[in-house]
Amino acid sequence: MNRHILTNINIGRVMIYLILLFFALIYLAPLYVMFTTSLKGIEEIRSGNLMALPVDPTFYAWAKAWSSACTGSECKGLAPYFWNSVRIVFPAVIISTIIGAFNGYSLAKWKFKGSELLFGALLFGCFIPFQVILLPMAKLLGSLGLANTVTGLVMVHVIYGVAFTTLFFRNYYVGIPTELVRAAKLDGAGFFAIFRHIFLPLSTPIFVVTIIWQFTQIWNDFLFGVVYSGSGTQPITVALNNLVNTSVGGKEYNVDMAAAIIAALPTLVVYVIAGKYFVRGLTAGAVKG
Amino acid sequence: MGSISLKKINKSFGSTEVLKNINLDIEDGEFLILIGPSGCGKSTLLNLIAGLEDLTSGEIVIDGLDVSGESPKDRDIAMVFQSYALYPTMNVARNICFGLEMNKVPKNEQKAILKKVSEVLQIDHLLERKPGQLSGGQRQRVAMGRALARSPKVFLFDEPLSNLDAKLRVEMRTEIKKLHKRIGTTIVYVTHDQIEAMTLADRIAVLKDGKLEQLGTPYEIYNDPVSHFVADFMGSPGMNFIECIVKDENLIVESSGQKYELSIPCTDALNNSNLDVVLLGIRPEMLTEIQPTVVENSFIHQIEFDVEVIEPMGADTVVIGQWNGTEVIARLSPESGKTAGKGFILQVDTSNAILFDPNTGLRIR
Amino acid sequence: MFNFLEKNLPKIVLAPTTIVMIVCMYGFIVWTGLLSLTKSRMMPQWEFVGLDQYVRLFNNPRWHVAVDNLFIFLILFILIALVLGLLLAIFLDQKIRNEGVIRTIYLYPMAISFIVTGTAWKWILNPGLGIEKLVNDLGFVGFEFRWLVESDMAIYTIVIAAVWQSSGFVMALFLAGLRGVDDNLTKAAKIDGASTIRLYWHIILPLMRPVFFSAIVILTHIAIKSFDLVQALTGGGPGYSSDLPANFMYTYSFNRAQIGVGAASAMIMLFGVLAVLIPYLYSELREKKT
Repeated sequence: MNRHILTNINIGRVMIYLILLFFALIYLAPLYVMFTTSLKGIEEIRSGNLMALPVDPTFYAWAKAWSSACTGSECKGLAPYFWNSVRIVFPAVIISTIIGAFNGYSLAKWKFKGSELLFGALLFGCFIPFQVILLPMAKLLGSLGLANTVTGLVMVHVIYGVAFTTLFFRNYYVGIPTELVRAAKLDGAGFFAIFRHIFLPLSTPIFVVTIIWQFTQIWNDFLFGVVYSGSGTQPITVALNNLVNTSVGGKEYNVDMAAAIIAALPTLVVYVIAGKYFVRGLTAGAVKG
Repeated sequence: MGSISLKKINKSFGSTEVLKNINLDIEDGEFLILIGPSGCGKSTLLNLIAGLEDLTSGEIVIDGLDVSGESPKDRDIAMVFQSYALYPTMNVARNICFGLEMNKVPKNEQKAILKKVSEVLQIDHLLERKPGQLSGGQRQRVAMGRALARSPKVFLFDEPLSNLDAKLRVEMRTEIKKLHKRIGTTIVYVTHDQIEAMTLADRIAVLKDGKLEQLGTPYEIYNDPVSHFVADFMGSPGMNFIECIVKDENLIVESSGQKYELSIPCTDALNNSNLDVVLLGIRPEMLTEIQPTVVENSFIHQIEFDVEVIEPMGADTVVIGQWNGTEVIARLSPESGKTAGKGFILQVDTSNAILFDPNTGLRIR
Repeated sequence: MFNFLEKNLPKIVLAPTTIVMIVCMYGFIVWTGLLSLTKSRMMPQWEFVGLDQYVRLFNNPRWHVAVDNLFIFLILFILIALVLGLLLAIFLDQKIRNEGVIRTIYLYPMAISFIVTGTAWKWILNPGLGIEKLVNDLGFVGFEFRWLVESDMAIYTIVIAAVWQSSGFVMALFLAGLRGVDDNLTKAAKIDGASTIRLYWHIILPLMRPVFFSAIVILTHIAIKSFDLVQALTGGGPGYSSDLPANFMYTYSFNRAQIGVGAASAMIMLFGVLAVLIPYLYSELREKKT
């Protein structure tokens, strides 16, 4: 009797493990395919199949994707666009995170008449489909002389990222007891002193979450990139799309895949190193998606 | 030094009036307790004194200076919070010195103050620790140390002992009292615990629904409450309240199926009130077993009492029965408590009994 | 003066954000709304023509394809991602060894952009060299899988790629929800003799209501904004058969110089999001008050 139950349970658990493993393989398959394809020569791709390991691994595709593949009329590989993305992402992440920290601190701990309304209005900004601001923003960038510039893209990412960073910091700081602020006020500390001495030292986790979130969002952005960048200032996502859709001299799937991995690598690395914070950001930013 | 004068204080949050026309003078060096049920406005009043909330109208004068519009840091006050509000990332020493640091007190002076304060509070061995590594009682001491370090004109305590377990609470209570004796600084202390109020206060201010219900010494508040509310709030177990019919300046009480007439003091007031029914207030300690030593007088009665519940408390035993269908608590010696049961003979001393108007809850006197 | 500054610092700190928000969110929405009422084509022209652009929009077969596609995409994407995410979360919640590793694998696609996702799946689904060939090589010679180039099937390839990218996230949401369930509740149910399936169906799933709710809102939001995935995977093709409204808006605003129609389509997208969002926020706020 007892043994019977035991084996039943075991069969159930084995099934669960098998299902989980099966899906793990499914989720991993595209990455595997991308990677193996990127190491194959074009002949091998045509003759072999998707799941086969490369017979004669070569880095030809990687080299070409990085430095000589055509992305439209230019044939300089992804490298210049990779650095464009870097030049866009770093300032945009830093600026939006800092603004978000101060905004969140003010909204959470220095409430005033209308501050809740302001927060609600800002929260709403996390939800709007960006299509609705694309045209006027293009006009604004044009009249500021920032159309097709890295600065313009940084500005756009900061403006529409601040809603999220503010939300993150605000929700984090709301959890810090207000009595700390009161105690510090009585101790003679002001707005900035309280932030610096009391809130900042407590903020490492939320800074990590916010920075990772913003980094992933901005690195992976395509919409703003494709609309607001010029031929020399495109971010890597736009360049990748162009590379894939440029078919000068036959399709080179191995180069496409190498390029795709190059474009995905920074966010994947961040995910592998700081997955815990990444997930926390996802669930904290659950209002977005 | 640290006198406080509250003049016509009003405070509203939106359309809710939290405090209504509070007038209160606190003398320098006084230990004043603000007490009342939750939501009575006592913590708001404390925050107003601290400057953490803005007045709706009125005036706060500390040490002769009108500070109504001043920010907290310019009021020269220190506060101990219910949650202690220790800065979690700073060690104990920096927690204590943070106020001094913000007020740009020189480092060596800070050190001297830290040494003195931590010795007084016996926390000198904890200075390097973070608040998370401290026990509740230690945190309490550090919070007090932080307040002490600034040597302010006034200390404000916001239910400082409510997060401690019962034993530690009693210990810290004694310690706060000793501390006040030693430094002599004005203390305004908010609590909802009437034992804390009785034991610590020079004077107690009882708040109800944003109004000052009564202000007086613990003795006055306990023995001479102005209303049913105050009488009910103070004392543990609480005062007995029995609705009684008035008959020829006496009160009719039915106990154990028999009717008794209790004679009471303040008959003049009773006559003037023209009430047929009054609320009799009598403390449990006035209901005892027969005391052989007591001097016979007209306020000593003997009443048969059906004890329904017996609760030994150690030093004495509380028994519960009914008068006029209302629950009544009597306080017996442990020996008498053991034998209590149906038809127990109770000695009732009404010389300190008080009467309330059952409609308004106000005292008849 | 100093006191004034000190008292108003929070407002001063928030002022720039407030101004930018009013201009660049609400102002721009109004701007787009007004633009959709003008006869603008290549450049904004402030000559108002009422709802003409909306009439043109709704008479445009391409818009209808995009909207129909959105509904197909929305329903399938949400349904599959929810079921898959929930099941994986429940299985993962059975005290699985190496749970962390498996979770990491399920969730990594979320770190990858839709452009990369689209590029990868474009290759995998490649008619001739992709899955089709793989299955053929396994011996199923007649097998055909050419959804990517079939007008009436292309939208389903977008569903596949989107589910791959986002279902791990739904799993993470549900897993967090399941971990929040009071242990005593499951113990009590087990003592009452409930089977595991009954336990989940009758007790735990009803508790996951808020998770369902927020997952649906998030997935809807992803779906309505999905633009890059279509762009990278099918380019809206074949023809315009796999367009979504976001791609329609982009094409008409920036490639076809019909910004009036583009603005009108953007406004319809906004209303679509609001139709989902307002009931959600309403219930969230009500929950918080009680």
